[in-house]
Order: sequence, then structure tokens, then C-alpha cells
Amino acid sequence: MSRSAKFCDGLARRDFLRLGTASVFGLGLTLPELLSRQARAAEAGKPTKDVSLIFLFLHGGLSTIDTWDLKPDAPVEFRGDFRPIDTNVPGVRIGEHLPRVARQMDKIALLRSFRHHNSDHGAADHYMLTGYFPTAGFNPTLSPNNQRPAHGAVVARTLGARGSVPPYVCLPKMHPSSGSAYLGPTAAPFVIDADPSAPDFAVPDLAPPPVVDATRLDARKELLVRMDRFQQSAEARSNHNAATVGVFQHKAFELMTSPDAKKAFDIHAEADGLRDEYGRNTLGQSCLMARRLVQAGVRCVTVDHSNWDTHFGNFATLKEQLLPKLDAALSTLFRDLADRGMLDTTLVIATGEFGRTPRVNKDAGRDHWGPAFTVALGGGGIKGGRVVGKSDARAEKPADDPCGPEDLAATLYHLLGVDQEEEFYTPEGRPVKVVNNGRILQALL
Amino acid sequence: MLTYRRRIALLLILLAPVAVSAQVVKTTVDPASISLRGPCAVYSLLVDDHAADGRLVDRTRDAHFRSLDPKVATVTPAGVVHAVGDGQTTVIVEIDGHDHNVAVSTVDATTPRRFNFENDVEPVLSRYGCNSAGCHGKAEGQNGFKLSVFGFDPSADYAALVKEARGRRIFPASPEYSLVLRKTSGHIAHGGGVRLPAGSDDYETLRAWIAAGAPFGQPTDPKTTAVRVEPRERLLTPRGKQQLRVIARTSEGREVDVTALAKFQSNNDGLASVQPGGLVTAGDAPGEAAVMASFMNQVDVFRVVVPRAEHIDPYPVVPENNFIDRLVLQKLRKLNIAPSDLADDAEYLRRVTLDVIGTLPTPAEARRFLDDRRPNKRAILVDELLERPEYADYWSLQWSDLLRVDRQALGSKRAYAYYQWIRRSVVSNQPFDQFARAVVTAEGPLGEDAAADFYKVVTKPGDEAGTLSQVFLGVRIACAECHHHPFDRWSTADYYGMTAYFSGIAVKPLGRDETLCVEGIAAAKNPRTGEEVFAHPFGEPAPTTAPQTGDRRAALADWMTRPDNPYFARNLANRVWARFLGRGLIEPVDDVRVTNPPSNPELLDALAHSVVENKFDVKALIRTITASRVYQLSSKPNATNECDEQNYSRALFKRIEAEVLLDMVCQTTGVAERFDGMPAGMRAIQLWDSKTSHYFLKVFGRPMRASACECERRREPSSAQVLHLLNGPEIQAKLSRDAGYIAKLAKREGGDESLVEDLYLTFYSRRPTAEETTTAVAYIRKEKDRRREAVEDLAWTLMNSLEFGFNH
Repeated sequence: MSRSAKFCDGLARRDFLRLGTASVFGLGLTLPELLSRQARAAEAGKPTKDVSLIFLFLHGGLSTIDTWDLKPDAPVEFRGDFRPIDTNVPGVRIGEHLPRVARQMDKIALLRSFRHHNSDHGAADHYMLTGYFPTAGFNPTLSPNNQRPAHGAVVARTLGARGSVPPYVCLPKMHPSSGSAYLGPTAAPFVIDADPSAPDFAVPDLAPPPVVDATRLDARKELLVRMDRFQQSAEARSNHNAATVGVFQHKAFELMTSPDAKKAFDIHAEADGLRDEYGRNTLGQSCLMARRLVQAGVRCVTVDHSNWDTHFGNFATLKEQLLPKLDAALSTLFRDLADRGMLDTTLVIATGEFGRTPRVNKDAGRDHWGPAFTVALGGGGIKGGRVVGKSDARAEKPADDPCGPEDLAATLYHLLGVDQEEEFYTPEGRPVKVVNNGRILQALL
Repeated sequence: MLTYRRRIALLLILLAPVAVSAQVVKTTVDPASISLRGPCAVYSLLVDDHAADGRLVDRTRDAHFRSLDPKVATVTPAGVVHAVGDGQTTVIVEIDGHDHNVAVSTVDATTPRRFNFENDVEPVLSRYGCNSAGCHGKAEGQNGFKLSVFGFDPSADYAALVKEARGRRIFPASPEYSLVLRKTSGHIAHGGGVRLPAGSDDYETLRAWIAAGAPFGQPTDPKTTAVRVEPRERLLTPRGKQQLRVIARTSEGREVDVTALAKFQSNNDGLASVQPGGLVTAGDAPGEAAVMASFMNQVDVFRVVVPRAEHIDPYPVVPENNFIDRLVLQKLRKLNIAPSDLADDAEYLRRVTLDVIGTLPTPAEARRFLDDRRPNKRAILVDELLERPEYADYWSLQWSDLLRVDRQALGSKRAYAYYQWIRRSVVSNQPFDQFARAVVTAEGPLGEDAAADFYKVVTKPGDEAGTLSQVFLGVRIACAECHHHPFDRWSTADYYGMTAYFSGIAVKPLGRDETLCVEGIAAAKNPRTGEEVFAHPFGEPAPTTAPQTGDRRAALADWMTRPDNPYFARNLANRVWARFLGRGLIEPVDDVRVTNPPSNPELLDALAHSVVENKFDVKALIRTITASRVYQLSSKPNATNECDEQNYSRALFKRIEAEVLLDMVCQTTGVAERFDGMPAGMRAIQLWDSKTSHYFLKVFGRPMRASACECERRREPSSAQVLHLLNGPEIQAKLSRDAGYIAKLAKREGGDESLVEDLYLTFYSRRPTAEETTTAVAYIRKEKDRRREAVEDLAWTLMNSLEFGFNH
């Protein structure tokens, strides 16, 4: 249904092409747009594989000097309690509390010269999740607090939905910096605000209440289509929020009635053995859920996992609580993706907002450290078993070829097939590129 | 995706000659004469056609320019006159076969140029984006070279350019070998590419400055005090062009053409784009845009209006209820847009009730109003609504959001007292200037002056100044904490001047209470310069001596609430207008700046004037707005206004606040909500604590009161909202509750038609059409074995419709 009605100004017009009217209920692009975009990406020598992203955010700041980049030769107040162990890649050694990950190391690359200039929660989170450091007026206590769209929102906006599932999902809660900023509600994440490890886990409001069976749901839906006089009217076309609600409603019915989506969201359908391997905890089951969602067509899943802010008793907390969970979840995720033939098309990134101070503090903890840390990533075109860059002797700063959130953004967008040069407009009319001058980290590919 | 008809129409417009719409009466060159002073002085000529309908059309690019004496002055093909030598000459401007003479006189054209870094070099660095936030202006600079963002700190930039890096960036002995010129002209690799081609005017400026020994200049050198863009406003056809001229005024009172060095930016590139040098091009579609021109931290704006191409002839006769209608229609006529029809009674009733009291009319109220035959019943309704307790609930909620009634920061007792203080002000319709003054000047024990609680939630002087400026003046000054506001005229002195009013103000323990005390002098230190700034309102000159000790906030309150304060009354008018019309005249309402001009400045002025006339009486303002025909227009678009979302030609669909929508769900189902820690029967709009946990309120965007930004209340729809209304178990429980309204309705005798009418009056405040009745009755009868479920399904359908979920 091609109507001139909505082409009111340049911006609204661009928005509306993506939003679609009655005939185009994709949240993202029209098909011809998507095809031409992929053709353009192919011309530019970019991969055309349809890659998805699982962004595992270790909120609070994973201590990478205790996991990915140990310094056994550094003085004791730096090297800490843990020792390195061998992995299945000769010469690559990681922390002793990630033994299962060590056996999957051939699938994982470590970016050891990563850094940014910030060591505050909030601002650093925004930096890592969007590739943009926030500017004046940033209020981290808001949710969402995005000045720039999160990676997932850019992916949702530029690549659109695959099938009936949403393009961008956050779980088990929404990190405050995973919003869509000026890309608007259709690029915002679908949030699963529930713990997938809970025995009664279900995606909130996804299924109709038990008293409404399929027949009754059909009847209700038909009634809604017939009775909502604004749904097909000039009013809805001329009021973008109303049109958006209409689109969301249509998508909601698709989601509620799609067997694929139903299956993807039903974690209880997964084999018990595999669920155990991932770990029966929030982190493990969130990673499993992420794999199920990607399998069903979700393009970007952001897992926000908290409690990595180990100011006190860093070593005990890591050893006893956090690392066993991470070890199980991350190793199983990589193995599971590989077993299913999904690793080539699924990029996994595991990182905190920063690393932790190389010097151990008086509470046997480590504090915030942005100037040097390691990002672990694999799949989706990343060459596993590699170490890229290195930090100095005490992991205080990169020793060579430093890279940062802009470069991570450039690399992940490159792998997913998002045009880095694309610009979006802020509400002030300022054009902002998808990536803020990042470079693609070729050494990873 | 344009329809073919539309495409052809567009093509015809593009092919049509420029001045097709009206006959050209005359052509003029502006200015008629030029006097240039000093070396390198320039002035741009603008050529305009004057159409019979009074419209001006830019013809500058169609004219040919020549100078009679190129030894005195030259002129570029674009019409820029350059002084070359002293004397007098004439520039001939030839257009459409006619010559126009411009007398040019020049003095001091050959005196050596006296450079000033701030006046001559800094603008070049700004003009080419060298000091932008994406490049060397970043906090950490770019590749070892750091400039202050937008050039707010000339002495630091001078040091960076001239002294840092062992002075290798400039080379006075051989200026063209200076690193800064080699890089920017592309002779050696530069991450930012070629910016200043060798030989360009600006390259020459830098070269000559370096050759002159790279002086910083004297403190007595003139400064730029203001800029003015010419013209200020134009109607353009789609794809039409307009050349701008930017004039800077110096502290010596001289006016200088700085078009070539000004930076331009459009607030909507789709509607109007602008090239460096100031050539504006309208887009394909009708609408309005503002083009900012900035030079030396001063800004001005050119407004582009692109009317719909099709004239409305004759323009319909639309009755005017008050000044609002006159000013809106004046604008709509200019844009070739006709307003929608008047809303019917039901549409008006639902809209005005939701807007004034945040509550849905009951079926009984709807029936009474619809059946009321009094001609002035709409005005009577507003008077009644303004006296209802829900009015106080609803408006207290809004001010509690902005003034941040926060249980976490205050504790329950104080948060409740603070809320009650706000509510009492709303109940008594306290004049808004007095309300603002009470917050700005609050003092003493918190138990005695609850307004002082504000200072317990917002504790830093800078935040207090920023919050109160944003809430009461609509101005965001936070950017100016670190650097000159990039899109406005606020400087760091303005920021610290405002902050100084709140320095030394703190909440301290006092026996079993706490008290707000004021100590020290009203000064704030700029941590970057170490300079002490004394309290003064933004935009006013900073005092040079310390003000008297004691509480200085009374002076700030005096300034804010003065009838001629340019922000206060406008802010109130704009905020209230935005609530009723769905869009501020300035949008967002709390981001007033030169570069974000009102869509209808005359209307904003008139509303602000009426606010002052009525002594800041909020209820009077509401009466004025709701009485206008503009407010009472239907939301049904017509062929001319379906694209218009900013000129109030039809009622917009407004999102309903989370609290109001939850109350609507409760009212229509007859099942109240229970909130943790709150008494039974409390409605969501009565919640004084925004931290009361509630899934519905969270999902539908209730603010956390973490800032004073209106944007904290999320107004965008989301999938989660839609799914919750469709499937939420809590919603279904309300629909199927035995003691609820829907169950009662299903059981009631009296015929299915009357049942359906009640449902429609309950959810939509209107009676169903015959067709709607037929559909609904047929559904109930088809499902006769499960009548109650069928009625639930109908109620569910109405609740999930756009008609319910929006205020339209």
C-alpha cells in the first residue's frame, strides 16, 4: 500500500519506509532495501553471510588480568592469586578457573590491547555498548540512558527482523545503555525481563492468559481488526506513534502465534543434559536462551549479567562464584554453536565495561580499570585461537596496537554487514555515523 | 514509494519556472551601497525578486556582477565584493537584462593586516571543523593535537598551535612549510584529509598570520558581540534556494560580513540543507526548518518555510474563538494548509477530560454532556473540571516529576510533605510566579518550608541551577559547564553565574529536623580557568565585584518572574500548550535555544503575554487554550493537513501517561489497583512516590524522577506495552473479575444494544455507530453459551484499540 500521505518530510519519509504501512510489517527494512543493502555490502568486499550477535556483557567489569591476560611474572601485588593454564591452542594460556573455556580456545580470539579512557560505570557501559563515549548531560541513572543507539538497535534498524521474532532482544533484563536513542521505538530491544533459570520461566505476556485458548484468541483478534476504527484510518497514518502501536500489535500476534517463536522462547524444551552443561544459573541459562533466540532468527541478543564489580575479595568471588559459571556458560555456548553449525554465523563477544586495576587493593579486590583490558570474542568470521595485541608487563596499558570501543563497533558491524558510513540524525538534526571513526580489526578476521 | 500521480506532480513543480506563482514587481540588490574598511574587507550582495504577493525570491545566483574599478574592489561571480585599494567604484549587477548599480567605497584597504588569533585564526579552525567534538576538539584531542571544542578557549588553542610539539606546527620563517598548513592542504598525510586547499582565502589568512609572527593579539582588539543572519525568514518552493549573509557586530560597533567563515547547520536536512558558504536548498516536501549560522560562539537562525505546493483557493472561512485561532490560521494560510473540522462533542469531552484531570469520563458523565443542549457547554465543562480533585492530583503529578519528589532521597515522610506542598499550590491555584519563587528561595527548617526539600534531592549548586533553569525557564545550561554551549549563546560565565546563586546552600541537621541554610558569598569558581564568577542571570553581564552576603536567590527569583523575562512566561505557556496540543511550540519544551526556534513565534509571544496579563494563573491559561477552536479541532486529517504535525491544523494523537492509562483500565473494568504501601482505593495519578514498584507503570514509561527532563517520561510505544495489554494476566483478571464491571454488565437485563452502548460510553465516552452496534451484538449472540466471555472479549477489544490507548 503505497500512499503519499506519510512522505511529509525527508526524515519521516525515511522512517516510514522502514516502519512500513499496512503491507510492510517488518520492523526494519522493506525487502528491496535489504537486498540492495546486502548487494552494496558485497560490493565493498564485506561478508554477506547473515551473521548474528550475542553480546555477553559482564556488568561491573570482568577482571581480565585474572582470566584472559595473566601476568605470572609481575610482582605479587599485581599478578594476584591465579595461575595460567594451557589451552587447546599451543602458546595461548588463560586463567586456571576457566578450564572448560581453555578446551574451546581454538574458537575464541583474545583482544589483549583493548582500552578506553574511562573507569566509571555508566559512562563506560555506554561506551562499550554503543561505541560512543557519552557527552555532557549524560545521566546514567536513567533507563534507557542512550545518547547513541546500542549496537543491537543499529542492527535492528539497518538489517530489520528475520521472520516473526524481533531483531534485537535483551535478557534477563535491559541494561540501561541498550536503548535505541534516536532510532526510535521500532529499533528498541524486545526485553525479556525474567530469569531463564527460574523453574517457571516464561517470557512475560507472550502467551495469552490460560482462559484464552487459540479459538478465543482468533476471535478476539478478528474482533480487534474489525472494531478498531483508527487502525486502518487516516488518523493512524498521520500519527506516527499510533501507526507504531499498530505495527507492534501486528508483530505481537505474529509472535504469539508463531510456532518458531514459541519454541525459541520455551527454554524448557531444551534437553536437560545441555541445560545442565550451560549451568543452571542466570548466566548459563541466559546464554542458552541467547543461542535459541539466534537459532530462531534474532539478530542481536544482549545478555546483561551483573555482579562482576569485585572491589572486595576479588579472588574468592571469582573462584567460588563467578568464574565457574562463566566457564560453563561460555565454553558450552561456543561448543554448542559449533555442534549446530552456527558458529560461522554467530559472533559472540564477552566483555565488561572495563577491566580491573592490575594492582590489588587493600581489600583483596581490584577496582575499575579502563586503560587496558581484554575482550574475548569468537564466531561469525573471527579467527579463533588467536591473541591480538598485548598489554604491558603489568597489564596497565596496551603494549602495542591499542584499540577501543570504536574499533570493536566497526569490527562487529563489518561482520554483521552493517554499513559503517550510514548516518542517522539526532533530534537536533545532527548527522551521526554508525561508527565513530573506528577501524575494522583485520587481525581478528 | 511515491505514487505516480504524486511523482508527476512533483516533476511539474520542478520543471516550472521559479516565479510561476506570482508576477515579479521589481528586482532589488541588497545593500544599495557598500562601504568597506580595512584590509581583506568583504561584503556579499543579495539579489531579490519582489513578487506581487509580497514574496521575495532569491536571484543572487542568476545575476552577473562586475566591478568598474577592480583596483578599488573586485567582485566574485557569487556577488562577494572584496576591497583591494582605497577609493570609490561601482559594482554593476546585471539581471534579466537590467543593470543595478551598487556604490562601493573603501578605506584602509592596503594597511597591513593586524592579526588577532581569536578573531582571525580561531574562526578558520571552527569553520573547517578542526575543533569539532569528532576531531581535535575531543576531550583527548586527535593524534596528539588538541583544540578546545568549538574554540571556547583561545589561549589554550594558541598554545597548542604555536608552542606545543616543540613549535613545529608553525614556521614563521617559511610559513607554507608550517605543519598546520602542510597537513590541512594535503601536502602531507592528514587523518582529516584536505581541509584548506593551498591558495584558498582561509589558507592565505593562516599563512599571513604565521608570516606576521603568529601573534596572539591585544586584549584591546575588538570582539564579536553578536551575529545576525540575513534574511531571517523566507518562503521557499520545493528545491528552492536561498543565499544567506552573516553579519558580525564587533565590540567597536562595526559590522563585518563573515559569511565565508560562519558555520551553518540545518535542524532538518531533509527539509532544508545548507552548504558551507550559506547556500540553503529546500527539500522536496513542505515543512519548516531552522538553519543555524554560528561565528565566534555567537549564533543566529534563518527560518525556511516551504508551503504545500497546491494553493487553497478560496481558503475556507474558519471561525476564530480567540487570538490562538487567529495566529494559527495565519500560519496555516501561509503554508496552504486548511484545518480539520471541529471535533464532535464526544471527541471533545474525552480529550478535554483526559487533558485537564487525567481521568476518563464515566458513562454517566458522558451521557450528561452529550445530551446537554446548552450552547456554551464546552466552556462550562472546563470550569467544572478545573474544580475537581483529580485536577490537583494530575497536575501535582506532573510538577512532582519535574521537581523530583523522590522517596529514596527524602524518605517517605519528607517526600510526602514535599508532594503535599506542591498539591496545595495546585489546589489553591497559586500564581505560577509565586510557586516558582517559593522553590527558588526556599529556606529554613524543612518541617516548616517543604519546598526546601528540593535542595535535599538536588544537592549540587550546578545541578540546582541547571534543574531550575530547565523547569522554570525551559533552558538547558549544563553544556556550558565545560564549554560554550554549541547551539546557543550560553558561555561558561553564564553557567557559573547561575550556579553561584546556589553556592553555599546546604541542608544541615537542626535538632530533630533539618534546615536549609545559606552561607558564604554568591560566587562559583570555574575549575578550568580558576576564575571566580559572581552570581548573575544567564545572558546578563557578570558583575565585577562580589555581591552582598546573605541569600541572593531572591534576586534570581525577581529576575525570573519579572513580566519581561524572556523565558519564564513563555516556558509556562509552552509547557501547558504542549500538554494540550501534543506538541510544544518549542519542542522539546525544555530545550529553548536560539537554534530551536518556536514553530509559531507570534503565538508563543501572545500566549506568554496572556500569561503575564492573567498574573501567571495556570487555570486561566487552560481556559484560554481549551476555548480555542484550534484545541477543539478533530483529529481526522484532510487532504491538506495529513502531513502536518507541527502547526496545529488537526488534533494530534497524544500518548497517555502510564498512571492515567492504568486508572483508565481500572475504571473501565471497575476493579481498582492496590499499590504497595499505599492506602486502598488510591489511584495511580495520586501516587506521590514514583518508586512504588509496578510492572504496568514501568512498562508504560513512568519516569524515575532522576532528572528534570520532560523526556524522562517515555512516550514511545513498545512491544512490551502492547503485549501487556493484549495478554497480561492482571488485565485479564480485571476483565473477568466476578465483582467487576464487565461481569455485571454481562448479567444485566435490558438488551444487547444497550449493553454495547454502555461499553462504548465506558471505554470511548461515545455512543457506538449503528454498524458497531450490529457487529458487537452479533458477536454476543453468536457466543450465547458463553455470554460473559463474549462481553469480556468485546471489552478486551475496546481496551486494545488505538481509540482507547491514545488521547485524540
